[in-house]
Amino acid sequence: MKQELVQPYAYVALRLPSDATIVIQVLPNTTISIGKYGAFQANNIVGRPYHLTFEIRDTVTGDGRAQSGLRVVPAAELYADIKDEAPETPTEAEGGNPGAGGDGVEYEIVGQNGEVVMRTNRQILDDPNSQIMTMDEIEAFKAQSTGSGKELIAKILESHSALDQKTAFALAKYTLRKTKKYLRRFAVLPLDVPTLARWILTDKEPMKIMELREEILSLIGSWSNVHCTPSTTSLDGDGVEVKGGRWLVIDETAGLLVASMAEKMAILHPPDEDGLEAECKRSSNHEADTINGHDELEAPTTQDGAAPHLHDPRPRKASRLGTANTITLIHANAQPNLSLLKYFHFDAFNPPKSHPLESHLRTLSWLQLLSPDDDLGYTEPEIASEETIQSWKSGKRSNYYRKRRRWGRIKTIVDETRAGGFDGLIVASVMSPVSILRNTVSLLRGAAQVVIYSPTVESLVELSDYYSTGRRTAFLTNPPDSNLMPTDDFPLDPTLLLAPTIQTARCRSWQVLPGRTHPFMTGRGGSEGYVFTATRVLPAEGKVEARGKFKRRKVDGDMARSSSQQGNPASGGSGTIEVDTT
Amino acid sequence: MAISSPTQASPFLHCGSNSESDSLAILHLKRDLLIPTVLRSHDDLNEGYSEGKVSNTRFGSFPHSTLIGVPWGSQVRASAVDTGSRGRKGWEGKGKKRKRDEDRQAQDDVAVEEKLKPEIEPKAAVDAATGFVHLLPPTPEIWTASLPHRTQVVYTPDYSYILHRLRARPGTVLIEAGAGSGSFTHAAARAVYNGYPNVNTGDSSTGGSLAKRWGKVWSFEFHEQRAQKLQEEIKQHGLDGIVEVTHRDACKDGFTPNETPASDLEANAVFLDLPAPWLALKNLARASTSSPLSRTTAIHLCTFSPCIEQVQRTITALRVLGWTEIDMVEIAAHRIEVRRERVGLAEEGLRGVNDSPASVDEAVGRLREVEGRSRIFHNEGSEGEEQAAAPGPAQVSKQQRLESIRNALEGRKLFKEGRLIHKAEQELKTHTSYLVFAVLPREWSEEDEKLAQEKWPAKVEVRQEKNGPVGRRQKKKEAKAKAGGNKEFEMAATTI
Ligand SMILES: C[S@@+](CC[C@H](N)C(=O)[O-])C[C@H]1O[C@@H](n2cnc3c(N)ncnc32)[C@H](O)[C@@H]1O
Repeated sequence: MKQELVQPYAYVALRLPSDATIVIQVLPNTTISIGKYGAFQANNIVGRPYHLTFEIRDTVTGDGRAQSGLRVVPAAELYADIKDEAPETPTEAEGGNPGAGGDGVEYEIVGQNGEVVMRTNRQILDDPNSQIMTMDEIEAFKAQSTGSGKELIAKILESHSALDQKTAFALAKYTLRKTKKYLRRFAVLPLDVPTLARWILTDKEPMKIMELREEILSLIGSWSNVHCTPSTTSLDGDGVEVKGGRWLVIDETAGLLVASMAEKMAILHPPDEDGLEAECKRSSNHEADTINGHDELEAPTTQDGAAPHLHDPRPRKASRLGTANTITLIHANAQPNLSLLKYFHFDAFNPPKSHPLESHLRTLSWLQLLSPDDDLGYTEPEIASEETIQSWKSGKRSNYYRKRRRWGRIKTIVDETRAGGFDGLIVASVMSPVSILRNTVSLLRGAAQVVIYSPTVESLVELSDYYSTGRRTAFLTNPPDSNLMPTDDFPLDPTLLLAPTIQTARCRSWQVLPGRTHPFMTGRGGSEGYVFTATRVLPAEGKVEARGKFKRRKVDGDMARSSSQQGNPASGGSGTIEVDTT
Repeated sequence: MAISSPTQASPFLHCGSNSESDSLAILHLKRDLLIPTVLRSHDDLNEGYSEGKVSNTRFGSFPHSTLIGVPWGSQVRASAVDTGSRGRKGWEGKGKKRKRDEDRQAQDDVAVEEKLKPEIEPKAAVDAATGFVHLLPPTPEIWTASLPHRTQVVYTPDYSYILHRLRARPGTVLIEAGAGSGSFTHAAARAVYNGYPNVNTGDSSTGGSLAKRWGKVWSFEFHEQRAQKLQEEIKQHGLDGIVEVTHRDACKDGFTPNETPASDLEANAVFLDLPAPWLALKNLARASTSSPLSRTTAIHLCTFSPCIEQVQRTITALRVLGWTEIDMVEIAAHRIEVRRERVGLAEEGLRGVNDSPASVDEAVGRLREVEGRSRIFHNEGSEGEEQAAAPGPAQVSKQQRLESIRNALEGRKLFKEGRLIHKAEQELKTHTSYLVFAVLPREWSEEDEKLAQEKWPAKVEVRQEKNGPVGRRQKKKEAKAKAGGNKEFEMAATTI
């Protein structure tokens, strides 16, 4: 469980009044600056609960000096501007005059007797000069101000010449806008996967995560059926370890996908985040030790993280690799890119031993998977005799053992991955999904879930077409020689995946304020984001005839029909389904 | 209903490699046609097939002996089962069965679950000539698509997003009301699962304060039959100990499970799918001694309401009760159909195509042909002048043309002809419900703050000085700490 209090060295998200988010690491005894909103002491948020809203306030002490501190803003104050029972809201208006209640839209509500209950903005000139405080004046005022920004907002409102002409709606909107700009408040949020995903998508670098939106990320999570498979729980009462929960991943979102899965598998957040402090200190000391440990860069998965092995020239036990609840990542470059895991205190190049990902995440390259003998890391280093080893200097000895261990780990990972039996395959990659499936479907157990994300739909459409009912029927009717697969007609074996489906989801945000409820008027464009799902199946041996009015289809040219129905419920089901039996 | 033994893990969470008897399995007939059935090595309902328990589907009959012990995901052939002769021999369970069937939605496709008298050895099943299913282990997604609907349910795109926003993860304790048909319940159980508590259900109260927090779903439903039915399903699905269903009115009587005091729940996530969530909110107030909420964690909440008026009332109540980060969204999701669209005269007479001209050239060609034919017709009709040219294609009758198109069909690879297109599925769900999210921060007293200040004195270390107000302020940090004391908890920088 994620700690509920801000831990020293933790990464946290700060939500600012503008709704922008920034991410910082809370280093004790430092000052954290949040740009125009001001600065505060890290120690003022360490040890405090998440989700509180703080206000930066500069107070003046007796001797005339300013000091900066934080104040917890009570919830009631957060909503002070929202008057739920505001009598001027249109819902209260008699007669239900259906004004087009959008902000800034002309609006007039006439009471029962014809009197104007509410001003419209028809008379207001859209004059940018109606704000008579100049930018310079505002800045000057800001510099003098010691407060939270509320006085400033009040001042600005006061000086707005046309304020009394504003409608209640416009005024509320104006206040809101000014609040966002000048209020010196922030909320501290734990940096978990949802918060991280949102931050990168909206504030940081959407392309880095392939524009993966939260609603899609959560769909991937569900359809992949990723969940925790606790390995310590004995379910039969005999202490027999539960196996399973092994997922295969291709992640080119810098580790967001891995993080999201790991969170669902309870291996993302170290169980004891009090250890964070020690861990952070260790890794900063570690820098010195890794100078001659460049081999760790070649083998990021090696368990040897810290210094001791340099001075510990004894054979150590092979890496302790979890057998259940694991993520196996295949990467296209020599090294995996898992840079986002740093926010969860995991460095793939130097995995901290205390981190659950250390024993539950394994990585290998496509070369190691498909042609391990061409990979140097897979080649067994020579075995030296005991005497020879003893004759070596300690540096050479430790080097020898380290190489053996690294090789052992790579070999275990590669062999185990090639043996297959994975519970699911999850993909977010810019590579062709056809090429990925061609090399991974065989590694999946029956009923394993396949989930492929793509920012755009085209590659998934092409993929679905290779699993269309028509193509599968043709494949079954006239099976190509399996040695010749893949063929032009059958780039993939269409009988191995069931119910291929493409879907998408979109989250629409609303503003809910008394009398002013409507969807937000702008949102993020860019890629829509699509998810392909299917289930790995094991076709029966020999020919299997579908049931249904199967004969008829051949006679009246139902081939055409089946093809036109692919992608419909039909594809992926029993062969019978393209025939309408209802 | 039979109860799976407590030692059997839920097939939703640990399905093993092969199907096992007494566990829930899904017969996948085709997409959107999924039949849940509990695999039985012999009886559970007395129907009298000689093969033992049999699931009958529109794609054939499947004796469970052919479904048990096979790898999940297998394609299984239908068996030749004599469906005619059994049943007539005075089967007593019929009335009951029909009633059950009426409860189900896709009545035709309900697996008929039948049994044989235990003494009789089930006959070995014989493959039928045609028909098959795929055998799948249950997942929350499949269950949502196949469960017996007793209410409206929360579908996958909504529950996925909700659980994500609720931070429902292994170890989360989640309160849910009303449980309805249990769609959300199953997805939530998967999300929070991190092992079966060693203690029995009912007094898992000890779990809360121990080092390991067991993920749990506390589910409330005020409709008695629904609560009971869900309870049975939970047992059947091996989710006992992870989900606990209580028959109670969450608005009137709060969130107190049958045998556990509410204050032992220590929930940190709440999902309300009932008509008046604002009435239930008051039962979540932390101040009350019977509050089911954790005092040491933040609480994430979601309400799910179809109407905007419900949302407004809910949000007003949330603001009054001190919830923060209030946010309202809706999720629109759809599936995408992929197909090959074939257009053109060469498709004439075939089904599922558009046989109008595919191009201007084709159109002109066809027009010319028609023109030619009518010219012949006119010429013949009037003066009998000899026709200038080409009897050729124009004289092929429509019938002949269609026939040759049909004959050519055999040699065509339709699966790669035409244009590959995609479009939204036919029936779109354009609105499910509005999702309101909110967070209740952990309680934080003056006492807590004072301790935190002692532990983390705000000393000043001037780092990367910048110009502007920040830098200036930092330089003045020798100011004395003002002792807390203020209701608003000032956290002043103290000088070291
Ligand atoms: C729409 S259904 C919930 C569906 C459920 N979320 C699912 O996914 O299957 C709403 C349920 O809330 C129950 N309900 C309504 N008011 C309630 C209350 N005050 N306390 C408990 N349950 C209530 C109803 O009986 C109904 O079964």
